[in-house]
Amino acid sequence: MASEIDFAALPKQHVPRWVLSPRRLLGDVLSKGWVESAIPFLALLCVVVGILVTTDGYFAPANLRNLAQYAVDGGLVVLALLIVVAAGGIDLSVGSNFAMSVFVALFCFHILQLPVPVVLLAALASGALVGVVNGVVAGLLGCGALLTTLGTMITTRGLFTLGSQGYLVEISSSARLDDTWDWIGFEKVLTLPVGFWVLVAVAALVFVMFRQLRFGWHILAVGGNRKAARHGGIQVKATIFFAYLLAGLIVGLAGFLYAARQNSAGADTGIGMEFFVLTALVVGLGGFVPGRGAVLSVLIGFATVYLLNNALINAGFRGDFVQLALGVIIALILAIDVKFRKNRHRLLASTYLDPVAFEAAPVEGMAGRMPHETAPRLRAATLIASGRLDGPEDVLLDAEGNIYCGNRDGRLLKIAAPDHSRVEVLAKIGGRPLGLAFDREGRILVCVAGMGLVRVTMDGDVELLTDQTERSLFSVQDDTTIRMADDLDVAPDGTIYFTDATKRYDIENWGLDLLEGRPNGRLLSYDPSTRRTRTVCDNLVFPNGVCLTHDGRHLLVASTWDCSILAFDLADLAAGPRVFLKGLPGYPDNINRASDGGYWVALAGMRNPVFDQAMRHPGLRRRMTLRVPPTNWLFGNLNIGGVLKIDGRGTIVDALWDAPDGPLYMITSMREHAGALYLGGVTNDKIGRLALDGADTGWTGPASYWGAR
Amino acid sequence: MFFRPRRKEAPAMTLEGVLGQNSRLDEADGMRVDTPDAVCVLPDGRLLFGSGARIFALDRWGAEPVLWASTERPVSALFASAGGRVGVGLEDGRLSVFSAAAGHLADWPAVTGLGAVSDGVFLAEDEIAVLDTGYGPGEPVLALAPWDDEARGRIVRVRPNGRQDVVRGGLHCPMGLCLDAGGGLVVSQLERASLVDANGKVLQAGYPGYLGRVRRSPTGFVMACLSRRDPLIEFLKTEPDFVAEMKAKIDPRHWIAPRATPEFSHDVPIELGASRLFGEVKPWAPSFSYGLVIELDDRLMPVASAHSRANGTRHAISDVATWNGALVAVSRASGELLRLDAGRAPS
Repeated sequence: MASEIDFAALPKQHVPRWVLSPRRLLGDVLSKGWVESAIPFLALLCVVVGILVTTDGYFAPANLRNLAQYAVDGGLVVLALLIVVAAGGIDLSVGSNFAMSVFVALFCFHILQLPVPVVLLAALASGALVGVVNGVVAGLLGCGALLTTLGTMITTRGLFTLGSQGYLVEISSSARLDDTWDWIGFEKVLTLPVGFWVLVAVAALVFVMFRQLRFGWHILAVGGNRKAARHGGIQVKATIFFAYLLAGLIVGLAGFLYAARQNSAGADTGIGMEFFVLTALVVGLGGFVPGRGAVLSVLIGFATVYLLNNALINAGFRGDFVQLALGVIIALILAIDVKFRKNRHRLLASTYLDPVAFEAAPVEGMAGRMPHETAPRLRAATLIASGRLDGPEDVLLDAEGNIYCGNRDGRLLKIAAPDHSRVEVLAKIGGRPLGLAFDREGRILVCVAGMGLVRVTMDGDVELLTDQTERSLFSVQDDTTIRMADDLDVAPDGTIYFTDATKRYDIENWGLDLLEGRPNGRLLSYDPSTRRTRTVCDNLVFPNGVCLTHDGRHLLVASTWDCSILAFDLADLAAGPRVFLKGLPGYPDNINRASDGGYWVALAGMRNPVFDQAMRHPGLRRRMTLRVPPTNWLFGNLNIGGVLKIDGRGTIVDALWDAPDGPLYMITSMREHAGALYLGGVTNDKIGRLALDGADTGWTGPASYWGAR
Repeated sequence: MFFRPRRKEAPAMTLEGVLGQNSRLDEADGMRVDTPDAVCVLPDGRLLFGSGARIFALDRWGAEPVLWASTERPVSALFASAGGRVGVGLEDGRLSVFSAAAGHLADWPAVTGLGAVSDGVFLAEDEIAVLDTGYGPGEPVLALAPWDDEARGRIVRVRPNGRQDVVRGGLHCPMGLCLDAGGGLVVSQLERASLVDANGKVLQAGYPGYLGRVRRSPTGFVMACLSRRDPLIEFLKTEPDFVAEMKAKIDPRHWIAPRATPEFSHDVPIELGASRLFGEVKPWAPSFSYGLVIELDDRLMPVASAHSRANGTRHAISDVATWNGALVAVSRASGELLRLDAGRAPS
């Protein structure tokens, strides 16, 4: 029965280069992290547009430079507050600390006549000192952040008042000039003030800290869930202490810049600053949110509040009106933002599923072979390890007849020959082991949903081969991660070909991929010699089982929802797939070699006219997912499955079914071994064994691939 | 985004509280019967039940059934009068009146001209109200009714002289008929999941099942449900284009619809939560077939219920009667009469 595939004669399978859909675009954008800043950004945009409409020349370069110069200290203090809030604290002392740092810088510069670098160190030390006090009391001693920083706010303000009363006149009358001091205060680099570049640098450092540094992650973990962080081994108290210390340092820096720019301080310096920056922070974060280090968001919030305040004052409104208007506008922005955040996931859920009209070819080649037309021959199968397995999606047999299968709990199990009564754990992998294959060295290659491609030795050693591939050219979502590695086979040159069945859904929600009906999957390859993973063919419809043809020249890939089997030419993978077999009566899962040169195809479920019709109505499927509980969604019939036998040219020659209520119902894999067929099912707790009449009892899968050892 | 519209009508009853799922039907005593559909209690205390084209009488639960009468076509309705007369509806729309001693009554000729008799009730010894579902003999009512907008069902008053008066038309697949305490008619409508009076006025709606027959009981009423209402079916009722295409192109046996039997079949769809795990269907899984008996008070509000869940077999309860202090229900799916204690004692 073995025959070579006439690849050139097979019809081409159209594979889209990209999937273009507004709803998908919206869903992908909504699932991005940066969309959380959408409302603050829009608010900033509205404020900018409002100012543009009402104020002439506000955004002239000179005024922008002016704004950049005067907004620096506020921006730095916002960042300082962000660090403390991200760690789950609050700092009311930032205003007083800022004022004290200004005073220390001015005192050191004008009274003590110290060099500018020393002045900078002194200002930083002043800020850090307050941070240390806050950190010790609120962090190490565990006193409340609110009370602690309230105390330091009052105390520091008192010290500042004491100092300023004694020295402000003297500072004001100082005639000391210093080029460095003036350069920091007034000069511009690349047309923008020095202070502005300092703000940019600090913002970048804080951003990197939250994104890349361990300390930043610890701060977010502590702020997100202090108890969990402690259980995770994080030094919670130390982290909080250093967060306050770092915030104090940044406030000290802000005070230094202010002192260099203003060369003076007033009794009201820093008064009300804590509430101003707190407002900016809340606008940026959309609330008082610990555990979130959104640097860009809080700077956007700060810019919004700062510009609004500045523009209203510039417009000549009275101070009390400015405060009132500012309060109302900020409350409105916050209300919209909070609503958006609350409904974002709902909106995402309602847009993520993006069904499309889809029509599989009509059933063909099954006359007289459908379940109601033939005797249920799988009824004769014996059951192996019944009740001791949990979802053997694939079954694999070695030359000795030992069975290997994945388990839902992430373990790879071995069922020892010859009686198959003993179930052992070969390896604990994790994830959800699906497709299995032997490599040339007799190691087991495993496709693990949620992990990637894994290699397991007979000693149980587990090695992750790959979990990422190239990113698609046209995708908003980062699709480099292999989400649902499904099945694999190994080419004679050792290259592993495997499928990532869907890039959009996890193993728990793979059914949604059917309701979507879009080409979300891809065929990948992994070369063990170069350890390189590449995407062979993207945008396939739920590519599932993979099988190398007997001659080793072609690759058969099951397209589950399309109810078809595709063929790839290994010598010319760029030519794309051809349709090897279409119009299957059910949803094909794994494909494996048969001893007579043909192939076995597992059917995980059966098509039916109503569901085929539903696949032509994407609007109906979408409305259904919005209005019907998931458990009641119309779905393909996964309660009945079977096995098809096809010859080497893709003609169906036999079909095996169990009784409708039989134990072998959703069949996801089968392997022929020594004259018997072994059947696995991803929702079953047993493996079936059916003796095959007339099959070659000397034929085994490993020998078929790698020869007799 | 800020304001959500208020819900205008009360939602359908859910399977919670007194309607909460249990396995009373699956645990009930059963008696195997070929193709049962209807039961009724005779004034002398015997229970009659139809089995295909034969009617059997039962003296007591556990006794051997005695053939009471045979008919030409399968029995589709059984109802008795206080005076010992028994109305027997056949699936081809004929209605015969028997005496309790069996045999046609000479003074009451067989009634013809009805589509399909689903139930009836004696208004007096010489006056019967019967229900005509509006569907023809052999039509798969369960599959058709959910997708049928036309209300062809009617209540017809029949007298011994052969006169027939339509008391009320425009009913949607009426399945059960009984009298309330005041002598008024109470009609159950399968797909509308509601009870209406003789004027078509809705007495109570929103029941969680597709209704079979309704009967008087010591607590008020007891109602058989052919299946439970399914969110997917209810949703598809709002999708006329899809339903029209399904009706035009697909054989009714493949349709999405309430089903009488819980069997697995390769050519029907399932609901996502109904897939088998380890070969078994979870009891809480959705299913197109279901077994449900609801006991109602005099205000037609549920007071107790008995279920056969998704993994059960005693589905499609077509009729129920109160007999010797217990409830006797008919399961079309398992082909059984079921005897279960009433869920709530009469007050």
